[in-house]
Amino acid sequence: MNNLLQTLVERRGDLVTALWQHLGISLAALVIAMIIAIPLAIWAVRRAKLAEALLQLTSVLQTIPSLALLGLLIPLVGIGTVPAVIALVIYALLPIFQNTYLGIAEIDPSIEEAADAFGMSRLRKLFKVELPIALPQIIAGIRTALVLIIGTATLAALIGAGGLGTFIMLGIDRNDTSLLLIGAISSALLAIILSALVRWFQTAKPRHALIVFGLIVVLLGGGGAYSAYADRTETITIAGKLGSEPDILINMYKELIEADDSHVKVTLKPNFGKTTFLYSALRNDQIDIYPEFTGSVLETLVKGDSPKEMTAEQTYRLAKKRLAQQAQLTLLAPMKYNNTYALAVTEKFKQQHHLKTISDLTQVESLLRPGMTLEFIDRDDGLKGLKQAYHLDVTAKSMEPALRYEAISQGRINLVDAYATDSELRQYNLALLQDDQRFFPTYQGAPLMKTSFVNKHPQIVKALNQLAGKISETDMQEMNYQVNAKKQSAATVARRYLIKHGLLKGGH
Amino acid sequence: MATAIEFQHVKKAFNGKTVILDLNLKIKQGEFFVLVGTSGSGKTTSLKMINRLESLTAGKILVNDQDSSQIPVRTLRWDMGYVLQQIALFPTMTVAQNIAVIPEMKGTTKKEISATIDELLNEVGLDPKVYRDRMPSELSGGEQQRIGILRALAAQPSIVLMDEPFSALDPLSRQQLQDLVLRLHERYHNTIVFVTHDMNEALKLGHRIGIMRTGELLQVDTPQQIAQHPANEFVREFFGASLAQNVYDIYLGRVGLVQGYLPTAPTVAAERIQTVDYQDTLRTGFSALASHDYLAVNESGQLQGYLDRQTVMTYLSEHEND
Repeated sequence: MNNLLQTLVERRGDLVTALWQHLGISLAALVIAMIIAIPLAIWAVRRAKLAEALLQLTSVLQTIPSLALLGLLIPLVGIGTVPAVIALVIYALLPIFQNTYLGIAEIDPSIEEAADAFGMSRLRKLFKVELPIALPQIIAGIRTALVLIIGTATLAALIGAGGLGTFIMLGIDRNDTSLLLIGAISSALLAIILSALVRWFQTAKPRHALIVFGLIVVLLGGGGAYSAYADRTETITIAGKLGSEPDILINMYKELIEADDSHVKVTLKPNFGKTTFLYSALRNDQIDIYPEFTGSVLETLVKGDSPKEMTAEQTYRLAKKRLAQQAQLTLLAPMKYNNTYALAVTEKFKQQHHLKTISDLTQVESLLRPGMTLEFIDRDDGLKGLKQAYHLDVTAKSMEPALRYEAISQGRINLVDAYATDSELRQYNLALLQDDQRFFPTYQGAPLMKTSFVNKHPQIVKALNQLAGKISETDMQEMNYQVNAKKQSAATVARRYLIKHGLLKGGH
Repeated sequence: MATAIEFQHVKKAFNGKTVILDLNLKIKQGEFFVLVGTSGSGKTTSLKMINRLESLTAGKILVNDQDSSQIPVRTLRWDMGYVLQQIALFPTMTVAQNIAVIPEMKGTTKKEISATIDELLNEVGLDPKVYRDRMPSELSGGEQQRIGILRALAAQPSIVLMDEPFSALDPLSRQQLQDLVLRLHERYHNTIVFVTHDMNEALKLGHRIGIMRTGELLQVDTPQQIAQHPANEFVREFFGASLAQNVYDIYLGRVGLVQGYLPTAPTVAAERIQTVDYQDTLRTGFSALASHDYLAVNESGQLQGYLDRQTVMTYLSEHEND
């Protein structure tokens, strides 16, 4: 509980931002769904067969798993707020359409007859008679849709739209229950409060309802206008993958760029997604820069076989060349540390079985209970290739990154994949096994951006190049440890490093 | 008297099935006309063709000498009140808002509408202060239909159509509302076309009655003519079927209607004559005739005619023997 409060206090700024994003996405989706579904239902009332078909269609739409729907939308509309809102609108259609349609269609026919017999026009009948009678049911549909939207909107974080889902995803990623709870509870509270507000709208005096509705519109509109205004200065968007290390790196980028040119404003999108997701975001101009690793470029992002056993320098040159040729992207000069894949065991296990290298594992093969990330298990430069290169025959359980450290410290597994700079190596007292066959490629981090961006912003490139050849593996491990275990903010840790190493003047 | 509504060779078919064969009928301005018939006789369909809720398959209907199909449908309906069996007050509107529906559409000023609402509510014995802002769900069935009638009258239409308006009400409310409709008609002189399946109601309300069966108009006449000279066996039976269950409950107006009143006023002392209302029953009639020689039957304060013991006995032996 203390932990929860502490996290809440530390993160209150983020929480407000996330709440605002969540509210914005949800309400936008709700309003759009209402604009589509209510007129459609009114139009369908006198066309029973068509209405039946539309009801079927909206029910089918609702059965599509939300995650799959988001995935389907990425190639069509990219990532960020747009696909998130589209997906939410699709889910909200059914309850609103169904309730509006049934609410009007089930009105006592004699009342319809009376309205006709008194010479009411179609519109007058709709607004004076039909909608007021159907209103309670329509409002019920809107409330159902609202609760559904707010719950599902937590998934928006997966495609970079932000919102309270960021807390939940980060919580899972870092195995931090406090973050997870904050995300989940806030989203539940938001649903309850808004649902109550909608119910109040139904019973409130029209004048009061109008005032409150106006206020909400002004508030959200004002927020939008403000961000549009803020956008007038040159804004660079830098995103990072999930985890503390990219978060620290992009904070360094921000500091360096803004220190160099005060007219440039940098927006950070930390924990934005996984490798291919960021890559497509960059190519679709949704972000301008993100830190990428040389090894990942060759393995996942560009075409072409890579020779084995390249040096770090060779790896960088090849990655840079292929990115430029195939995607018109530029990978700036990398930092010093090599955040390659590695295998780790507990210090105790290592000494017990006299392990030094990965080759040594073959001798204890029957004792091994590996738990590894799904990504590692599935990659050619991960477990698949490793098993061939070292003639190892093991089957790994797939686990979330943060969970596998927990599992090894509790002894449920005894072999994990790791990144060389993971703070948990230090936290859980784990030992890396030496890659004696030089199987793992080099993974050096460097800022990736479009070549056109490089040409337009030489200042920024210059600022970012200050990091080339800096930051050792132990530096990075330490910084990760400060963020993950010591709960310091990535911004603070990044800034401290830059000042300590003379890249940034302190005190402002 | 000018004609308010005229049916000219009107036919109506639903899905190829003819329900009105060839309807010809003139309804006079200011007349209280009742269409009576069993279910399926086409009486409601005929009524709904007047305000074009039902279309005509052939023929035409003249409203105030104008072909109704040539009048814009809303203009036509704004000048035609409509009262439904299901009452169908708009449930989300107050009593006052319900009454104001048509005047509002016609652009009557708020002040004028408000005054009309108060006047009408007073007219039907509902205190405007109490009832104006009530919702329909807070009213009894009888009260609801009062509002239903006021809603139809609010825009002072020249014609009011009533589709079995009292069928769903309890006998007491029904009787009160029948009296109310008669009173309102006397006051506003609109043309009323009233549909019912209840012969007694028809006899009580109508200046003239049209009896329908399976899409045909069998007889159009005054209550007296229908009672005394039914056009055919069906009309006679339909009229007979409207008998009271108990001979004591037969009302005196019916005796006069069927048997006919005495041709001349009796020349006896005034104390030998007892004045009764046409709605009083034979129960009252018998005790009156025990001490008096004649009954003077009044309807709404107007003398209808005289009955003596012989007339009553003849009526009973000839008409109420089965």
